[in-house]
Parts: sequence; structure tokens; C-alpha cells
Amino acid sequence: MLQAHSFLWNYLWVAPNLLVFFLGILLWKRGFNRILPSFVAFAILTALGDLAAFAADIIPSVSAQNFWLVFWAELLLETLLKFLVIGEILSHVFDPYPSIARLGKMLVSGFGAVLVLLAGVIAGFARGDSVVHIVATAHLLEQTVFIVESGLIIFLFLFAAHFRLSWDRISFGILLGLGISSCEHLATWAMVANSSPSEHVRRLFDFVNMATYHVAVLVWFYYLLVPGKAPKKSTIRLPETNLAVWNREVERLLHQ
Amino acid sequence: MTLAIFLVVFAVITLFVILRVSVSRSLRLRSANPQRIEPIDVEAFRNLVNPAENEYLHRQLPSAEFRRVQRERLRAAAAYVRVAGRNATVLVAIGQAALTAGDEKTAEAARQLVDSALLLRRNTTFALLRINLAIAWPALGSSAAPVLSGYERLNGSAMLLGRLQNPAVPVRISSAS
Repeated sequence: MLQAHSFLWNYLWVAPNLLVFFLGILLWKRGFNRILPSFVAFAILTALGDLAAFAADIIPSVSAQNFWLVFWAELLLETLLKFLVIGEILSHVFDPYPSIARLGKMLVSGFGAVLVLLAGVIAGFARGDSVVHIVATAHLLEQTVFIVESGLIIFLFLFAAHFRLSWDRISFGILLGLGISSCEHLATWAMVANSSPSEHVRRLFDFVNMATYHVAVLVWFYYLLVPGKAPKKSTIRLPETNLAVWNREVERLLHQ
Repeated sequence: MTLAIFLVVFAVITLFVILRVSVSRSLRLRSANPQRIEPIDVEAFRNLVNPAENEYLHRQLPSAEFRRVQRERLRAAAAYVRVAGRNATVLVAIGQAALTAGDEKTAEAARQLVDSALLLRRNTTFALLRINLAIAWPALGSSAAPVLSGYERLNGSAMLLGRLQNPAVPVRISSAS
């Protein structure tokens, strides 16, 4: 069952991509392309790219070299779109709060630059897992991308948590799916790129990667298509403290 | 292999933090409790961060004694700043909850409160960094003045929201003097 090109393998490669493609089309039809253009593009184009890689894998006439060229093209496209999606979510989270929006964007840019540098250094120290250059560099690029991606996502989550920012359901869902997927992929690609695991272990990693992506796609379906609870009207009552003292203190401060 | 282990550990910690934030997101409303606001003695805080006071102590005390006293004052100021930061997060939660209020005036007051509270939270974060640096090197000064002005603005926003939500019931984030 846990073999390449088994039913489960084919399902885990094709099904999440079909699902995310239909999610992208559905979102487009519902007008989400105006609110989330990068995510809609990501959903449609990466699904098509991944399905093209699947086709290149199963069509016997496609050589190994050409398969890896398709894989590289898909990887570059996916990388670009994923960072656009993170930028889009960044704007959705920070823009409603002008007092910290500039600081947040500045810190994310700085932290992103540090992550790129760090990921480059880590890639420089990596042993590489294949004698075939195009394969080894693809795995290293995967590792590099997931270091930067998961670093940016954790930064966004921690920054929002520090300021107790409330997330809108859609932004939260997209980032949660991306976060789960990127952390798991980082762990497996780090093992693949640095410890040269056996073919069997590598196959298992492929299954874990595809299954996690499937979970991420289901998370996106849940947060983007299932409506959240309608927000209740605020029922918080302010405490019964001394209005006179409070007013006196504020007025004293204002008149100083 | 060491590199792989390092990256796997980083990935696991990141995943743990993401899942923890996801869980705490659903418990967010618990922090929107005005009872959790701790009043702060603004006058005492103002005195602690007053540059003229620092200058006076610098002139009057021997260097070693000044550094000791200044560190004590900075630790006290840091305690105030921490409370101000905690109050700001509670007010962010209260303001965000009040954003769903039906009338436009309350929602606008809530928006102002959230913005002022976030500004204060940002300032307290930086002020704490500066205070901790100043504890290490007392000659640097605390630079906590933005916190004070932020706190004053926040007082105004909280009071306005309090009046709009319930004219008879105030919210107080500064202690009586």
C-alpha cells in the first residue's frame, strides 16, 4: 500500500490538487478573487502545476530529466505564489490597525530577509541527497522555501498573539493550513536533504507530505466555505467602578 | 544530520506554537474582561520616568549610589510598564468585542480604543526593552515618556467607549490620586 504509484499514492497526489483547484474556481465564482487574488491564483495554478508533475511522473514517454524540469517549474511557481499569499494575509491582518501596521510590515520584511540569509547558509552546509544535480538542488530549494515560509508564518502568528489581534476567519484558515503544511514539509525535506534516507523512508516521507497537504486543503475548505458563527453583539459590561474618580483623574492629566 | 535535527526541532516547535495560537484564538473572549484591568498610579509612574528627577539624583548622589538608586527606580518603572501593557491587551480585547456593537458611535469609539491600546502595547514593548537596557547601563535613561502619553490617550478612549456603552458605568485604568 505504501508504495509509489499505489492507489493511495495516486489518490494523495491527485485528490488534494483537484480539491484545491475546485476551491479556487469556487472562490473565483463567488468573487473572492477581489479580496484574495493571490490565494485564488495559488489554488488554481499550483493545483494545475502539481497535476502536470503527476502527469509527467506517470506518462512513460516523459524522461526523468523532463520530469524534474516540470517539478522545478512547478516548485518555482508555487514558491512565488505562496509568498504572495503570505503578503496578502499580512495586509489583511495588519491594515485594520494603523498604529501597528507599519511596524508589523517593517518587522516582517526584516525578519524575512534574515530568514532568507539563514536558509541560504543552511543550504550551503547541507550535504545534498543525490548525485544528480537537478534532484539535489530541487530538494535543497524545497528546504530553503519551507524554512522561510514557516519562519514568516510563525512570526505572523506570534506578532498577532502579542498584540491580541483578532483574525478574520478566512485569513486565519489560510495561514493555519499553510502553517501546518510548511512545518511538516520543512521537517521531512530537512531529513531528505541532509541525512540521505533510504528509498523506503523517502517514500514514507512522500506519503506524509501528501497526506499533510490533503489536511491543509481540508482546513482551507472548512475556513473558506463553511460559514463561521455570526458574531454576537457585545455583551461585555464595563465594570462598576467610580466614574467621578476616573473622570477627575483623566481631566487632571489632560489639563497638566 | 545535526542540521536535519535542528530543522526538525524548529518545525515541531513552530507547529506547536501555531496549534496553540489556534486553540487560544477560540478562548479569546475570556481576556475581554474589564475586571482584569489593574489601575495604575500615573503620578508615581510619571515621577519615576521624569528626566528632571533623574538629572537631580545624578547631581546629588555619588556615581555608585546613583546607579543603584536608578536601577531600583527603573525596576519599579518596568513593573508599571508591564501592568500598562497588560491593561492595553485587555482593552484591545474589550474594544474588539465592542466592535460588534450595533450602533455606529460605539463601534467608532471601540475602533479608537483598539488603536490607542495597540499603540500603548507597542510602546510598552519598546519601553521595556529600553528600561532593561537602562538597568544594565543606567546612564542611558528609560525613555518611557511615550508610554505615559500613550496611556493618557488610552484613558480618553476607554472613557469615551465606557460612556457610549453604558453612560452610568465607567471604566478606570488609572488609580485615584
